[in-house]
Amino acid sequence: MWNRPMTDREYLELVHAEIDGELDGGQRGELARRVLADPAVRAVREDLRRLCAKLDAIEDVEAPAQLRTNILQALPVSATPRTRFHWPAPRWRYAALIAGVLGATALVYETVDGPGPGSAEVAGTIAARGAPRTLDTVALGAGPVAGRVSLYRDGGGLGVAFELAASAPVDVLIANDGHTIRVNGLGRTGTAKQRTTVALPGSGTDGSGVVELTLLMSGREVGRATLTVPAEH
Amino acid sequence: MREDDDPALVRRCRDGERSAFEQLVVRYQKPVYNAALRMLHDPQDAMDVAQTTFLKAFEHLADYDPSFKFYSWIYRIAVNESLNALGARKSLEAINGEEPDEAPGPDTQVEGEQTGRAIEDALMRITPELRSVVVLRHLMQLSYRDMSDILGLPEKTVKSRLHSARMALRQDLLRCGTVR
Repeated sequence: MWNRPMTDREYLELVHAEIDGELDGGQRGELARRVLADPAVRAVREDLRRLCAKLDAIEDVEAPAQLRTNILQALPVSATPRTRFHWPAPRWRYAALIAGVLGATALVYETVDGPGPGSAEVAGTIAARGAPRTLDTVALGAGPVAGRVSLYRDGGGLGVAFELAASAPVDVLIANDGHTIRVNGLGRTGTAKQRTTVALPGSGTDGSGVVELTLLMSGREVGRATLTVPAEH
Repeated sequence: MREDDDPALVRRCRDGERSAFEQLVVRYQKPVYNAALRMLHDPQDAMDVAQTTFLKAFEHLADYDPSFKFYSWIYRIAVNESLNALGARKSLEAINGEEPDEAPGPDTQVEGEQTGRAIEDALMRITPELRSVVVLRHLMQLSYRDMSDILGLPEKTVKSRLHSARMALRQDLLRCGTVR
């Protein structure tokens, strides 16, 4: 570059470097000469300087007052490392974070597929039964829903216990033994985890295998978990 | 901003002290929100992205490398989340080389506040990748070194991208009659 003239592109680089305050003395002189001699370079230089000055002058705005509160409320209750629970891609977060705050938990059951439980099976499935024995537990702590889900057995058969906290209502699909049931409105108590138990229809006393859980927020899947009945059971 | 004690706050967060994370939120909510706002040009989307940014930071504090500045790390999350949000916006018009919609003619050119608004609008008409370097450089006043860390690109590439962004903005504003 010693003896050849600088190209337009190289002059343009000098203009940018000048705006960024990175020109040395020689480059500054070179650019000044070109600016004097070439109206086109002079025009570009003036446009860019004006543009950058206006960009630099754009003022920050204050963050919304509720931002901090929303962030702190949405933090997981515990920072439990991920276990067998899988949180999918981050799109769920928008729905979860926008969602409003907390209300009383309402549970609604509906049969989604598979042979539906009889009314006798459904009735009373929310009621806790005495002396349950925990068979498997999955901790949730690195996603939109904090807490844990346990598979237990009591005198009536298999059941799932939810102790969840979330910033928005959580619906859960529970698939086991050919049934899929849906539980709506879990986890709406913010940082206070509320225990809710659900008896699995049709599991009887000899139920075995796996229980697949699908967690939904605002109709979108936010994660899946698998609970396993130990072989000896 | 006292970023020199960020590592101590992060350490306390990792030890389970939630109030330390709250201090980081207080310290960085404004720049993170502003970065998202300039990237997205929508206050609600910017708020969502800012929340997601801090939640991700909290979840992944164990992955944070203290040899990098904390703000570089969290701005990186913010920029990536903003790009993700833009990717989800099907209606986004990426513009280089296209006529901007409803561009004001030279006769409607105004100074001051409206010129600033025209520049912000023009920002939304360049590609998100170009926009991110403008936001980091001119609105967040970051060095090329910091920008390189945040974007995961060599400094030379960052510079080249910023130069392209400035030229794209100039062309756009010339078409709108806002420059000159």
